[in-house]
Amino acid sequence: MTILIEKASIVDRNSPHHGTIRDILVEDGRITAIGTDLTMPADKTVRHPGLHVSPGWVDVFSHFCDPGYEFKETLETGAAAAAAGGYTDVFVIPNTKPVVDSKSQVEYIRRKAATLPVRVWPVGAVTRGLEGKDLAEMYDMRHSGAVAFSDGLQPVQAAGLLLKGLQYVKAFDGVIIQIPDDRTVGANGLMNEGVISTRLGLPGKPMMAEELMVARDIKLARYTGSRLHFTGVTSPRSLEYIRRAKESGLAVSCSVTPYHLYFTDADLTDYDTNLKVYPPLRDSPTVQTLRHAVLEGVVDAIASHHLPHEFDSKVVEFEYAKPGMSSLETAYAVLCTALPGLSADRAVQLLSVGPRELFGLDQPSIAEGKEAVLTFFDPAGKTQVSLSASKSKNNPFLGRTLEGQVLGILNGTHLHLNQPEQ
Amino acid sequence: MQLSTKHLLGIRDLQPVDIQLILDTATQFKEVLQRPIKKVPTLRDVTIVNLFYENSTRTRISFELAEKRLSADTINFTASGSSAAKGETLLDTVNNILSMKVDMVVMRHSASGAPHFLAKHIPAAIVNAGDGINEHPTQALLDAFSIREALGELAGKKVAIIGDIMHSRVALSNIWLLKKMGAEVTIAGPPTLIPVHLTEAFDVRVEYNLRNALEWCDVANILRIQLERQNQPLFSSLREYSLAYGVNKRLLDSLSKEIVIMHPGPINRGVELDSDAADSKQSIILHQVENGVAVRMAVLYLLAGGTQ
Repeated sequence: MTILIEKASIVDRNSPHHGTIRDILVEDGRITAIGTDLTMPADKTVRHPGLHVSPGWVDVFSHFCDPGYEFKETLETGAAAAAAGGYTDVFVIPNTKPVVDSKSQVEYIRRKAATLPVRVWPVGAVTRGLEGKDLAEMYDMRHSGAVAFSDGLQPVQAAGLLLKGLQYVKAFDGVIIQIPDDRTVGANGLMNEGVISTRLGLPGKPMMAEELMVARDIKLARYTGSRLHFTGVTSPRSLEYIRRAKESGLAVSCSVTPYHLYFTDADLTDYDTNLKVYPPLRDSPTVQTLRHAVLEGVVDAIASHHLPHEFDSKVVEFEYAKPGMSSLETAYAVLCTALPGLSADRAVQLLSVGPRELFGLDQPSIAEGKEAVLTFFDPAGKTQVSLSASKSKNNPFLGRTLEGQVLGILNGTHLHLNQPEQ
Repeated sequence: MQLSTKHLLGIRDLQPVDIQLILDTATQFKEVLQRPIKKVPTLRDVTIVNLFYENSTRTRISFELAEKRLSADTINFTASGSSAAKGETLLDTVNNILSMKVDMVVMRHSASGAPHFLAKHIPAAIVNAGDGINEHPTQALLDAFSIREALGELAGKKVAIIGDIMHSRVALSNIWLLKKMGAEVTIAGPPTLIPVHLTEAFDVRVEYNLRNALEWCDVANILRIQLERQNQPLFSSLREYSLAYGVNKRLLDSLSKEIVIMHPGPINRGVELDSDAADSKQSIILHQVENGVAVRMAVLYLLAGGTQ
């Protein structure tokens, strides 16, 4: 099959065509020609005013709920949501039932996802059953295809255990992903602790719970010399600790979610359960600092924290609602809307180059002879949010219009376009 | 005159004129309650459900009495021994009840924001009878009514709220109300029981020394230690709490002036309040209970669309 991509702005620092507008010809999943006014006949054409193309985007923290919670999402619907969101690669967290803490679970995901339009990378559990007690068989999982290790929504609490985990993965160059959160601080917290939580009468979780964990885990990473990735970082102090850790040569990195850049805790005044997320939304000055850090600073990647939930998990009392958002489909548009100053180049750094580098994925450059792993997008476009792909609709942007538009992906021979081709 | 809101979810949503209207209406109902025939036909043909997802004695009885005095039809629902115990969701339960043509919902619930959630999904008027650690608006209204009765007005009065602020919906509703009505508020208690951002969130003073707070105030509203709502130890023992923050007659007598003592009940006697203080002539605790009925009558009457 041949696909002709017409007049696309190429955003790829690894490509000789970076910054130019070119036609790209893809034959059987491989880029065979890049030029101006390519006229070869093609089976399919990708054509859109303002079309940008970059190496495929990667999400490092998504929940596809499969196996165990297929009523929220499956590998198929999750992959469709990812494709609609412009992702060619997604890391899925092990908070499934059963937990992905052994080779057979990793292989289940790999096998079942093999024919999907996006590459699904299983993240293995750090501890058996996510219980935070004994180390899971990370060596075996790594060799079966686990891309990284994390206890996902139940970050490892005991310092001694995480220390062993970090040492353990060092042998096979593994990375551990933590949502930094000391769960003993603000243990019952349902939102960010601050003026708003006090006025709403909701138990708060102080931002310090995150900072304590970042500071502690950095010390562990220093001691072990291992690779550690924090995701869902919200605190300016955490970012400062991470910046200093990087400067001192540690293999510490971090990602933030788009929604933490968009909403503040003041948006919770109506007890909207779609805005109950983990870690919680922060106050306005914090969000301002975080936005700045994403544009210029220490943040390495954007992580969607896609956490789909069925109706009944969200249309309940705030306290009982499950945290999280079905966010893969809207990640890019939310990012563009929260950060009007975001350049296409920086966006691609955060969505593709950064995460690929951190987790040792191929950097599929846009050049002749390379495999076509591409995301199509338009920074000047608009997104009318409808969430057609994900099985769950827990997304506060539903029905809104956002800045920036994802047009689709080409992952080898899998072409997905959000609008029917012209 | 009518209220500016359809529901009574919290004092947070009320304007000072609303509060004034409720208190003035309650004054009239209190007068009704002194008559030999205490029942008025005002809410005849109005059906009210009292949904109590949490235990309550005083509030439930007070609401029920208020409803009966207004001639409303009432039904009572308690979470234990009901469909809620079988796992039915709040929304299902309420929609089922409403399908039987119920006009108003009075609800107590352990989750903050539960009545706000309900208000988004059902058409009936909702009265919050306490939600989690958020608000207990009718308690704050009856407290205000009682202060007004004892001291004439609220503006400029110094009110100390003492005890477990962190787990208290009474505290939050009282703070909202007193600040809206121009009273001065000091919060006193151990730091572990006072929210960190309280002074930022409200213009209130925080005092860790009980005597200083009592010496400063005209009225001391002493809150119950919410043992059932603490899942972490926030003070070492009840004995120690009582030593540092227990109010007793000896302490009251040593102050430079006589202050008014209030308590929303139920009292942990010998913990936050000793019997000699609770039962003293400075205490208006039983007046609070009495006024509760009149205040709740006023709220129900006004929400049902009544005018003065």
